Amino acid sequence: MHSNELFLKDVAGFLGGYYAAIAIMNGIAALILWQRKHQPVWAVIWTTFACVMMVLGSLALSGSEATVPSLPESVRNLVNTLSGPVNYTVGTTVLLVGFFVYRKFFVQPMVAWSLFNVALLLMGLSMADQNFALIVMKADNVPIVGLVFLLAFFTWVATKQAVVNDERMLRGEPPIEKVNDEKVLVWPDLVYTELICMIAVTAFLLAWAILLPAPLEEPASSVKTPNPSKAPWYFLGLQEMLVYFDPWYAGVVLPSLVIFGLMALPYIDFNKKGNGYYTIAERKFAYLTFQFGFLELWITLIILGTFLRGPNWNFFGPFEYWSPYKVEVLNNVDLPQMFWIGLFDRPLPLAAADSPWYVQIGTILLREAPGLILVGAYLVLLPPLMAVTIFRRYYAKMGLIRYMVMANLMLLMLSLPLKMILRWTVNLKYIVSIPEISLNF
Amino acid sequence: MTHASRAGVKVSSMADRKKMSVAEILAAARAQKAGGGESSPPAESEPASAADNAAETTAAASSEVAAAEAPAAPAAATPAVAKGGARPSVAEIMKLARQKAAAEAPAEAAPAKPAAKAAAPKPAAAKASGDKPAAPKMAAMPRDTASILAAARAGAKPGPVSKADAPASAKPQAKPAAKEKPAGRPVPPKPTRPTPTLKKAAAEDRRGFLSVAMGSFMAVGFSALSVTGGLFSLGLARFLFPNVLAEPPSRFKVGFKEAFPTGKVETKFVAQYGVWVVNSEFQGVEQIYALKTVCTHLGCTPNWLEAEQKFKCPCHGSGFYKDGVNFEGPAPRPLERYAINVSDDGQLEVDKSRTFQEELGQWADPASFVTA
Repeated sequence: MHSNELFLKDVAGFLGGYYAAIAIMNGIAALILWQRKHQPVWAVIWTTFACVMMVLGSLALSGSEATVPSLPESVRNLVNTLSGPVNYTVGTTVLLVGFFVYRKFFVQPMVAWSLFNVALLLMGLSMADQNFALIVMKADNVPIVGLVFLLAFFTWVATKQAVVNDERMLRGEPPIEKVNDEKVLVWPDLVYTELICMIAVTAFLLAWAILLPAPLEEPASSVKTPNPSKAPWYFLGLQEMLVYFDPWYAGVVLPSLVIFGLMALPYIDFNKKGNGYYTIAERKFAYLTFQFGFLELWITLIILGTFLRGPNWNFFGPFEYWSPYKVEVLNNVDLPQMFWIGLFDRPLPLAAADSPWYVQIGTILLREAPGLILVGAYLVLLPPLMAVTIFRRYYAKMGLIRYMVMANLMLLMLSLPLKMILRWTVNLKYIVSIPEISLNF
Repeated sequence: MTHASRAGVKVSSMADRKKMSVAEILAAARAQKAGGGESSPPAESEPASAADNAAETTAAASSEVAAAEAPAAPAAATPAVAKGGARPSVAEIMKLARQKAAAEAPAEAAPAKPAAKAAAPKPAAAKASGDKPAAPKMAAMPRDTASILAAARAGAKPGPVSKADAPASAKPQAKPAAKEKPAGRPVPPKPTRPTPTLKKAAAEDRRGFLSVAMGSFMAVGFSALSVTGGLFSLGLARFLFPNVLAEPPSRFKVGFKEAFPTGKVETKFVAQYGVWVVNSEFQGVEQIYALKTVCTHLGCTPNWLEAEQKFKCPCHGSGFYKDGVNFEGPAPRPLERYAINVSDDGQLEVDKSRTFQEELGQWADPASFVTA
């Protein structure tokens, strides 16, 4: 525990400043609310909160184990035991669905401000934990922490505008963007703004580069891979996908499909509404599909890969020590093995080494028959099935080709979470596994 | 036309009204022009700026389009066009010009000239008349823009040639400045001008000298370039076959059999050679074999974890048993083996030039292991 005391002494100054910053921020918010006069209760609440933050800040500045505000050991242990890939994914999904369903509640400024403050407070309390701070305060990861908050903010702004517009349209009014459609000139209005932003961002980046130097490492070596070895933050979602797929699929096919799918969007989308203004109610399908693909299948995976994947790409709880010796049982098997060995209790079909080529190929096809049939059914049978059931209206509006493109893109997008679930539940490695030609799915 | 209307905006509306939408500003500007608003510039400047604007248009089309506009200037000034009414568009101006030119075409180019002359006193028309000599040609030319452009590009000069133009077309076009001065006022009979021929000859000479000089410079330059390029290619080819290879040999000795007791994974060759030498059982037979340290998923280097008796990849968590067979994570096939044999002096020798893949049944090859 001696090292923990040293750590707390190190981090005390930062935490003090951190709490003070929260306090000042809330003080300003309270002042603005007070001057506007219509929400005096909230002004009082935020003033009180600011005072509490100041107290926490002074406690943190003491730097002693007894006084630095932190989460209790039991809570941290509970969080660690509860966290795992399954709980993380299910949890974030539930959270996002909750935010979506109760969006009218969450877009209220005071609710959002409260959530923001709670998040900041939890961050502060967690940063008194050595393991948490080590990951979150790593020079690599600081911008990612910032990006998480930034993304949350922008998602909130967009949702708020959409909710406002949806309510207006429910009352028969035009969306707010159509009312204030005042246009400004590119020169000088836009160009000046851009210039000022450019200068400000450059200054900010300079200051950042000086304060948080890039974490350079030893020269690269082909026989030594850092443990854990992580992609750049924006590719960590891809790296997480690669845990469940063969490189050609997760590294080539799926990313290309993302690009082609985005290119195909204007041709697939037959909904003319929502052009030039924010709305959710008028484009629910498009909105949900995009947010699922972006927030769920990309952003949460980036957060998972950045903060929760440690040595040997094992999963670590937020307060867990990143031990390279952590043992996790992750044994998995291919579908043919499950089918032939598990179900029929007989060895995999194997052609003799000296048999002619057509026998060899036939044997491989027989071996992979269950997987091939399953994949074929998924991609060939499901689209027409969906056309006559859940997507009946879409099929009628889109016509055969557009509908098939849309359905296949959706199914391929869904193959990622499906494969993840199969890995977690039945330890399935590959549905089709033909290592002879490096084709695995 | 945007040029003209923008000028109007600058004069009238921009100053006092700042936050109007672009569409509103344009509409206001047009309305003002049409009504001949008090703050708008004098009416004559309109065709002027039209011609001016047209003169600014892009390269190949510019002279011909301007030529088409030149007659348009007087045309706009004539009462035939409603002066106070809406401003004529380019298309209308051009149509008018063509109609006029077509009407005058039978009477040769001579009548076309006074028309241009009538416009001459105005400074605007004078500006446009820089291109005037080409104007009469319009009469006999094809009517649509595409063919006009095509003709311009082809350098064809069809149609009748006026007297004023005759020397111009005879002379090289490099001397428009000389022609520009007499263009505005009535042309007096020209005195014999010996200078042009002289100047022309001089220019020809100068150009000839330049072309020869430039040609030879270019010739020298490109010859030098090709020679150095050839030398560079030779140097590059030489570079591909260096005197000394810094990479370790693909065949190397790792020691005697006794150095690899049963169950041992020797990791000391990883840093230099990228190979694990393992003494272990594979399918019930004790063997010594050399495993390649490249993960079969995406090519990272796994680590040997002694406590867990497995190879574990740090990139995506693939795991391999001691015999190299994959069992966890995304790796689709076992690690590969290098060829290994007992050399003449009794030491084990690994040959990295050959690999053996389990899924292809190559581990049965006696070259892929040494019986312990």
